[in-house]
Amino acid sequence: MWLPAMFLIFGVLLGLMTNITVPDAYANYLSIAVLAALDTLFGGIRAQAERKFDQKIFVTGFFFNISLAAFLAFLGVQLGIDLYLAAIFAFGVRLFHNIAMIRRIYIEKWEKRKIKQEK
Amino acid sequence: MKQKGNYIIVSLILFVVGFLVAFSYQQTNSKPKVTQLSENEWEKDYFYRQQLIDIEDKNKQLEDELTTLRQTVQDFEQDIGEEKKQIGDLVDTKKRLQILTGELPVEGEGIEISLKDADYIPSEDNVNQYIVHDRHIHLVINELYSAGAKAIAINGQRIYADSYIQCVGPVISVDGNVYPAPFVISAIGAPDVLDVSLNLTNGVVDNLLYDNIEVTVEQMPEIEMDARAS
Repeated sequence: MWLPAMFLIFGVLLGLMTNITVPDAYANYLSIAVLAALDTLFGGIRAQAERKFDQKIFVTGFFFNISLAAFLAFLGVQLGIDLYLAAIFAFGVRLFHNIAMIRRIYIEKWEKRKIKQEK
Repeated sequence: MKQKGNYIIVSLILFVVGFLVAFSYQQTNSKPKVTQLSENEWEKDYFYRQQLIDIEDKNKQLEDELTTLRQTVQDFEQDIGEEKKQIGDLVDTKKRLQILTGELPVEGEGIEISLKDADYIPSEDNVNQYIVHDRHIHLVINELYSAGAKAIAINGQRIYADSYIQCVGPVISVDGNVYPAPFVISAIGAPDVLDVSLNLTNGVVDNLLYDNIEVTVEQMPEIEMDARAS
């Protein structure tokens, strides 16, 4: 359990220490990438909780989602439509959905354990 | 084994997520924010801006004043400089006058004229026509003064504004001191000018020669004269 935590801290530190500034025009891509990453992460946690976690799906989903979001944003810029809003919307909805599912699963698990203990 | 692989993958993903989140956080932090100002803050902002404008106004006024004062100071300095120059001029004039009256020692280049009685005096003529008289010396001295001589001495005795030169038989008395011929008149001044003015056609030297006096004019690089001893 300590390895992921360590890597998370490393990532945060590295992100804080890098002094690169992304031009304003690309700020959208960054925010979408963050959202996609978070979405995939929570998706993975949910899959783990449902005991159907697949490494391949997780990893490919992570990178694919990010690329897709970036592509959507790029397309939106080219077409003059705020397409990145669609990505944000989709990711946001899925984020909430995933978190809700995780919460539900863990509550169910907890209640089951409680019933077992009572028996 | 599978569990461990999972951990590594999750770790990598977490790493990327952490990096992205932190990076975008930093990104938004470093960007200048469009701040929403409330009514109160607007008023404050306005107030401070007004204050700033007032202060800048005042600053400008003070700078103008400073410029004016500097101008005044410069004027004063110029006045002082002119006064100094005037004082310098006055000092120069005083010095020149003192040299003329003989109150200061003088030294410089100049000219020396020696007047000698004629060696050969024909017996049938009057001796008086062959010796140096006071008028000859007056002639020379007046000529030298008008040519711009600063100071004049006869046989080493300086001539002052109130000096007198007198014929006493074959000798000449300058301020009571008696000198025999030959008379050496030394004058301090521009040697060329003095020389030329003495040697004008029908000038002093010609006149003296006409009066049978032996005249020699010599330019001297350095003559010294003392101040009046008093």
